Amino acid sequence: MFEIRLGEKGEVICEGRLDAAQAAKAQAFLDALPAPDVVDMTKLEYISSAGLGVLLRTQKRLLQSGGGLRLKNASRHIRDIFRYSGFDRIFQIDDGT
Amino acid sequence: MISARFNRSFDALDQVFGFTRGFYEREGVPAEERLVFDFCVEEIFTNFVKYNRGASQDIELALERTGDRVQARLTDFDVEAFDITTAPPVDISLAAADREPGGLGLHLIRRLVDEVTYDYTNGQSRITVTKRLG
Repeated sequence: MFEIRLGEKGEVICEGRLDAAQAAKAQAFLDALPAPDVVDMTKLEYISSAGLGVLLRTQKRLLQSGGGLRLKNASRHIRDIFRYSGFDRIFQIDDGT
Repeated sequence: MISARFNRSFDALDQVFGFTRGFYEREGVPAEERLVFDFCVEEIFTNFVKYNRGASQDIELALERTGDRVQARLTDFDVEAFDITTAPPVDISLAAADREPGGLGLHLIRRLVDEVTYDYTNGQSRITVTKRLG
């Protein structure tokens, strides 16, 4: 199960498992937002390279207009995935502590 | 060892993960390691789906725990040899503008598990990942 929606403060909330079968849904949601900034990953359990591709494509789009995503409250496992992918160099990653 | 075959479609991932979950529960695989194995299984499975396009048979997934080692083996049948383990390394130091989506799957598998092997025999491509628990 994967859900993506907007929170009360305009943040993007991701919940569940972002795998290859769900990547198109996530991409379509983010593409429809002109300038998303915060992605709350508190309830994101799992992400695969398909999900990383969604984040990277969105980041490349936003950087062209001076924006960018801040990835917030990712689990330790997902932060490891980000670090091994070099995403800690191209996203602001906030562990919430 | 347990094994099952799955339709070569991204939509089969739910069934794949249901199968791995049952294995993890029976074998007491810790939560963090479950995420690692699901990641490896998904990356290899989806690579088979994407790149072995002429194939028509289901993809086999076999899982086994021996002591503190867990192994996942995926086999694609009646395909040309395609060794994803020889994929070039990803330059993770590039700026976002210079990065392209894709190519991270094998890079990450190499970081997450202890061993990745490829075997091609009689038209069968087989990738095995092994990781020690704990």
